[in-house]
Amino acid sequence: MSTITIDRIRKSYGSYTAVDDFSVEIPAGTVFGLLGPNGAGKTTTFKAMLGLIRLDGGSVRYDGKPLVPATFERIAYVPERSVLYDWMTVTEHIHMTRSAFKGFVPKMALELLTQFNVDPRKRVRQLSKGMRTATMVALAVARQADTLILDEPTSGLDPINQRHVLNLMINESARGATIVFSSHQIGQVERAAERIAVMDRGKLALEGTVDDLKYGRKIVEGIFPTSDVSLEEFHHDTRLLRVDRDGRIVRLLTKEDATAFAARLEGMGASGVRIVDLNLEDIFLYAVSPALQTADIVEGA
Amino acid sequence: MPAVLTIDPRSGVPIYLQLIEQVKRSVALGILQAGEQLPTVKQLALDLTVNPNTVAKAYRDLEREGVIETAPGRGSFVRADGAEESSRAAADDVARDVIERAVREAKSVGLRRSEVRDLLEQALNHWLPEEA
Repeated sequence: MSTITIDRIRKSYGSYTAVDDFSVEIPAGTVFGLLGPNGAGKTTTFKAMLGLIRLDGGSVRYDGKPLVPATFERIAYVPERSVLYDWMTVTEHIHMTRSAFKGFVPKMALELLTQFNVDPRKRVRQLSKGMRTATMVALAVARQADTLILDEPTSGLDPINQRHVLNLMINESARGATIVFSSHQIGQVERAAERIAVMDRGKLALEGTVDDLKYGRKIVEGIFPTSDVSLEEFHHDTRLLRVDRDGRIVRLLTKEDATAFAARLEGMGASGVRIVDLNLEDIFLYAVSPALQTADIVEGA
Repeated sequence: MPAVLTIDPRSGVPIYLQLIEQVKRSVALGILQAGEQLPTVKQLALDLTVNPNTVAKAYRDLEREGVIETAPGRGSFVRADGAEESSRAAADDVARDVIERAVREAKSVGLRRSEVRDLLEQALNHWLPEEA
């Protein structure tokens, strides 16, 4: 169980910048969700955490120390793409994992595979994409590692097995493991993760606990008698992330103090003032694609 | 017991607040009775598939508000002493929230104080008529 510090990491592939000055701290024992659109830099960040790539700058530290083999031994990783051998059976993978990692519990791996409905006698090539993901998750969890890094651990799984994977993460975190995972299924992140970071084009777009983000971020909406009311006073307020006007309707996206902003809109003569809760998907979309979200709002008006 | 607790992770209301509201409501309704044991943090986290720290946070707040108490090593229980008050307080909290939201909405669509009062009066007459 380690606190993981990702400190200003940078990585380019040729002229393409995959990760650009990205920093985040992952407290020991948390379930941490890393979100971002495709190509945002999540997989590169995971590889950096595992020391699998040479960084152009910055560092990753475990409890303040650089990654050393002893720490690496205590990290289990499920990559986005299958690294299982097509011609081998699942049972053979269990034997192989046992010989490679001391803490591995074969009995646990078998139990998890049964839960996932994977027949260990099958060869990997006979397994569907989802079954391969489930197999990798089972092998990783059965290592009883201190840190689990899971790149899209529910991809291709049916809803029942997705729920199994989430509950495994919850169980592992209750045991004290630090878990870092990525997923495009934001509803899952909303359930399982305590903290999240959103990456966008290699940079940190947003970070915090899921509860704080949902508690603070609101849309405050009001309707004015005319469409020319001055919104000047809002433009320099650092609590506001966006100020939108759509005819007579004004919408403020705020990080905090939604009630106070609602009262201010009313004081300025707005009627129909309401505070709209945002779920994690809304918050994510605002963080990575403001333009798209504006269009949605105009459409919904 | 967990069967009475459900959460909607896609709602904009943080999950720990949903849990607090539901436990209070269950206490107010007597679904959860004085002295009754709540599931462990880990058990409820797994039952609902939510982060254990989220459940722990809800339990901490419920304890601070006097709705539940935690005995180290034994688990969390609906408070036995003053369960009546805590259940009454829970009922108040749940009802106040809804009434405040309703009044706020009435105001936002332009109703005057006297009009809102008339509506409340009508609702009271309908649902809580004075006993003859």
